[in-house]
Amino acid sequence: MATTTQSLASLPVEPEPIRSSGRDRASAPRRRGLLLRHVVLAAMAALTIVPVLLAVSTALKNDEDVRVDPFGFFTSFSLDSLRRAWTEGNFDNYLVNSVLLSVPSTLLIIAVSTMAGYTFARLPFFGRTVLFYLVVLGLLVPFFTYMIPLYFQLRSVGLLDTLGGAILVLTSVGVSFGTFFMRAFFSDLPEELEQAARIDGCSEWQIFVKVMLPLVGSGIGALAVFTFLSTWNNFLVPLLYLPGGGYRPLTAGLYTFMGGRSIDVGPLAAGTLITILPVIVLFVVLQKQVTAGFISGAVKG
Amino acid sequence: MATLAGNAPLVTRRAQRRLGILLVIPVSLIMVFFFLLPLGNALVYSVVDFDGISATPPFVGLDNFREMFADDEVWHALGNNAVWIVIGTVAPIVIGLSIALLLWGVQRGSVLYRLCFFLPYVLPPVAIGIVWGWIYDPVQGVLNRALGALGLDALQRGWLGDPTWALYAVLVTAIWSYTGFAVVIFVSALRNVDVELVDASRIDGANSPSRLWYIILPQIMPVFLMVLTLTLVGGFSVFDIIFVMTGGGPADATNVIGTYSYNQAFQLSRISYGTTLALLITILSVPFAVGLNKLQRRLSLQGTGA
Repeated sequence: MATTTQSLASLPVEPEPIRSSGRDRASAPRRRGLLLRHVVLAAMAALTIVPVLLAVSTALKNDEDVRVDPFGFFTSFSLDSLRRAWTEGNFDNYLVNSVLLSVPSTLLIIAVSTMAGYTFARLPFFGRTVLFYLVVLGLLVPFFTYMIPLYFQLRSVGLLDTLGGAILVLTSVGVSFGTFFMRAFFSDLPEELEQAARIDGCSEWQIFVKVMLPLVGSGIGALAVFTFLSTWNNFLVPLLYLPGGGYRPLTAGLYTFMGGRSIDVGPLAAGTLITILPVIVLFVVLQKQVTAGFISGAVKG
Repeated sequence: MATLAGNAPLVTRRAQRRLGILLVIPVSLIMVFFFLLPLGNALVYSVVDFDGISATPPFVGLDNFREMFADDEVWHALGNNAVWIVIGTVAPIVIGLSIALLLWGVQRGSVLYRLCFFLPYVLPPVAIGIVWGWIYDPVQGVLNRALGALGLDALQRGWLGDPTWALYAVLVTAIWSYTGFAVVIFVSALRNVDVELVDASRIDGANSPSRLWYIILPQIMPVFLMVLTLTLVGGFSVFDIIFVMTGGGPADATNVIGTYSYNQAFQLSRISYGTTLALLITILSVPFAVGLNKLQRRLSLQGTGA
């Protein structure tokens, strides 16, 4: 069991294979094959990226062009739509709200999952298995199964339409996965480390904070990026549990904006761009962590 | 030394238990209040008739379940779920594996390729729904224009407004967004495949389909099953992208259990019936997830043993 997760966990951190370089410099037919591969790959990559380019192109058109030819690629340039989305469309507030929702819930998920993951990996006690099954059940049951009762429950305790309530729900949605994820990282650490620290006189708390925690930094980083992206992208939680429209984030703002899709394509495109731009920037800058996070997350989950 | 080793475990165990309980308190509180309690309430809702207002909804026993099995729209929506599960699982896996095989051994530009393929997977469903709405636009849409330019005018239609095509149009969007995930997973799995075995089989005269079937696939089987599990279970519980793009319409054509449940609960205030429908999906999908996960675990254990 432990060896399985260990071998699987080594997937993302493995360096680029050196041996495959032998395939790059090869005989003439092999080289032609490689060129063909590049042609096919480039065509497919271009096709994949078209919708993203469409969002950028439409957001950057001038007013007249948006009316006449909203989906022609890069036929004009203007920042008017962005300006209108920002000022009239409230996307400046939405952006702030997105940060207010995703940052605290990401931090909460990481703190709670790290603590719980450590316990489920290394600190046995009576009743732990039952709690772990609860966490696994949270991974298996789709959100919409209990989202309706949760609505009435939040209303009855006064958490509906509050920032705190929405943050807590977002946290609860991500915490099952986070716990599962961090548990796999803590399970991979060698037992000897813990014993050595204990002989050196460390308390259990010191072993956790000073010895084990620094060793799962890459896991925490991957989880942070993954969690931030999924809370940023979540629109159902704010849509359902912030019905009054206060603290409405970008995703929910976009959804409510969609009603007038044919009329106001320009600002809608600009709003879309404002919503996906942080995601794209984060994704490109932290490309390695994101993919590593998704891979190990999927493999461990 | 011997006494220390003999005494330490007991003291240690007590200290570990104390810290362990302390560290799981937050996750337990959150899970109980925001997951277990509403899930329990969902079970309660399914045996009463709750409209969202009444404080003491009447007990109706299994009426909601009886209605569910007699409801034609449930079977229609389940059929759509089935279409979604089959196509939405097979397509990303086939396309994803093909791209991963193409990327295998390619060094120059591989980071850029992976970036392009994976990007759709991290974008918010709302944004994806909006942009693909423009692609499918009946008049100005990119797809219809491309078809027109190719002389395929006969194929042009309002993709999301056409009951026969809407589900498949949304499905294509989902495949677009999900395939990158399969690509990245398969690329990393292929890195662990024994290249010498593949080369040896090539020298022995195995053609590429049989190399794939007999040499490569068995080696990536655990990862293959994992992607299969995730897409299958995702297919049962699909909601976001359909909700954003069509809301289940036109005329219920793209309804899956998820959107049907939402519409019953929040548009018709039939809270109990909507919740019962949502429970159906959980009951259907959990055995699949558990079964496939068991199979995957057994296979990956075999893999490490060999």
